[in-house]
Amino acid sequence: MTEGYRESVPVLTFPRQTFVSLLVFALAWETLSHLAPYLGIPPFAIPSFVRIAKSVATITPIDIVVTLARVIAALIVSFLLGVAMAMAMYRSDSLDKYLHPMIRLLMAVPVVSWILFAVLWFPGVEFRICFVLVIVCGPVFLIDTLDAMHGVPRDLRHMMQSFRPTTWQFFFKLMLPAILPTIFTSWKVNISLAIRVVTIAELVGAVTGIGHQLSVAQELFSVADVFAWTLVLVALLFLLEAVVARVEARVLRWRV
Amino acid sequence: MNSPPPIEVRGLRKIFRQTTTGQAVVAIDRLDLDISPREVVAIVGQTGCGKSTFFDLMIGLEAPTEGSLRIGDKSPHFDFDDFRGRIATVFQQDRLLPWRSALDNARLPLELIGLPESEQRERALTWLERLGLGNFTNAYPHELSGGMRQRVTIALATVCRPDFIIADEPTTALDVVVQKEVLSMIRDIQQEIGSSLLFVTHDLAVHANLCDRLGVMYAGRLVEEGPAADLLRSPRHPYTAHLVTSLPRIGDATPRPSLSGTPPNLADPPSGCRFHPRCPLAMDICRREVPTMQTTGTAHRVACFAAQ
Repeated sequence: MTEGYRESVPVLTFPRQTFVSLLVFALAWETLSHLAPYLGIPPFAIPSFVRIAKSVATITPIDIVVTLARVIAALIVSFLLGVAMAMAMYRSDSLDKYLHPMIRLLMAVPVVSWILFAVLWFPGVEFRICFVLVIVCGPVFLIDTLDAMHGVPRDLRHMMQSFRPTTWQFFFKLMLPAILPTIFTSWKVNISLAIRVVTIAELVGAVTGIGHQLSVAQELFSVADVFAWTLVLVALLFLLEAVVARVEARVLRWRV
Repeated sequence: MNSPPPIEVRGLRKIFRQTTTGQAVVAIDRLDLDISPREVVAIVGQTGCGKSTFFDLMIGLEAPTEGSLRIGDKSPHFDFDDFRGRIATVFQQDRLLPWRSALDNARLPLELIGLPESEQRERALTWLERLGLGNFTNAYPHELSGGMRQRVTIALATVCRPDFIIADEPTTALDVVVQKEVLSMIRDIQQEIGSSLLFVTHDLAVHANLCDRLGVMYAGRLVEEGPAADLLRSPRHPYTAHLVTSLPRIGDATPRPSLSGTPPNLADPPSGCRFHPRCPLAMDICRREVPTMQTTGTAHRVACFAAQ
């Protein structure tokens, strides 16, 4: 009966403009790679797609898996910490007043500074990377979650309170479902942030992962390898975003 | 069917501080009210008279500044958990969780009292069917009409078979036909489950015939209270009389008289009777002293020097 009420989901169309712009870029790059010697540019600086393809073929999956695992683990830890602290700050005005300035301060510190602090403070590589990711992504989850909680309509909060829920029920039956759209947006923002941050962190202090491979490629002056690993990073970002979008579409299907 | 406990409100006061000026606003002032088991009572008053504050106090969203509110031998403010599933609320506009289907909305109170999921679903389903929503159990709130949403709200409020139902302007956002349907439904369910029922409303015309007793509020105070038929037939307080004569009657095109002046500022109310600046029967004593509720007939009380 109710299915008839639902609007149909728009059919995905082929993104023609995206395809055209990417094709133009690829053609320009390929042309430039052939013309480079005549323009006084060293040939290694703009490798052809054949050379890049060779680099892609040598990519080690273990480094991808390691980077992916670091990103996912750190995002999960950041999310749990961020949401837990947001819940505590929502409940306690005093806690909010004391912690809010500190969170803003943490967010103002540049990522490079955190990486240097981590290198100086912690001996373990994995802990350093996790620390940097959590300290960068955690506050984003926290602030987004807290703002979304404050934005839950008063009417709905009153309706729920009139049934006298426990604190736990209030958060899990009302607040969390109500802020899920914001949480998904926060995940999308943080995935992009985490991919960039993990790369820099691995570049500085790791012996595995995509960042480390980029560092090796830089030492070998291999632009093709840098290009190949960058492609992997972009693909990884798109893949993670697609996974989140898929889960979002399923969880928020009531919005269709 | 167990009889619900009586409700006793004594000397209820609620004072707010204005955030900008810091002035005290006495939104509810020394309100006394009794609601007997299974009784239907309506509190009527115009916008700004303190109805919504009274509603919030009754359901425990606000704590009184002074006075007491007891349901049976317990207070809904201090014995918070004891009233889970026993007090139900029908709000002004449907307040449903948009991410939950009608069925999942209706079973929310049963979840909160910890019933097993299969029982929750079974009871909520039966209740929705009872309210004529059997074919719409999987619909989300935005897929339902205003009247249907309000019926889901009624299901949500009554599925636990509460002792006490309190409805705040439950028909304000609905058209006249749906208003009647929704009010009849609330009244039928109240009789079926044997709850006490309190309407808080500005609309005397809509609620008058549904109630056993009516209370009239003006500027934070209860000014008259009594059996609905008696109060409508012979109102004692000049403000109640004004409300009753203002009721629309089909075929009667006579212009209704309006009250002079405006409702008082609750941060700086007039001395004595708060109605005296607008009252056609005002006397000297009305400016000096606050009239207390006096019984003038069988269970009919009024706070007016002119009527006593």
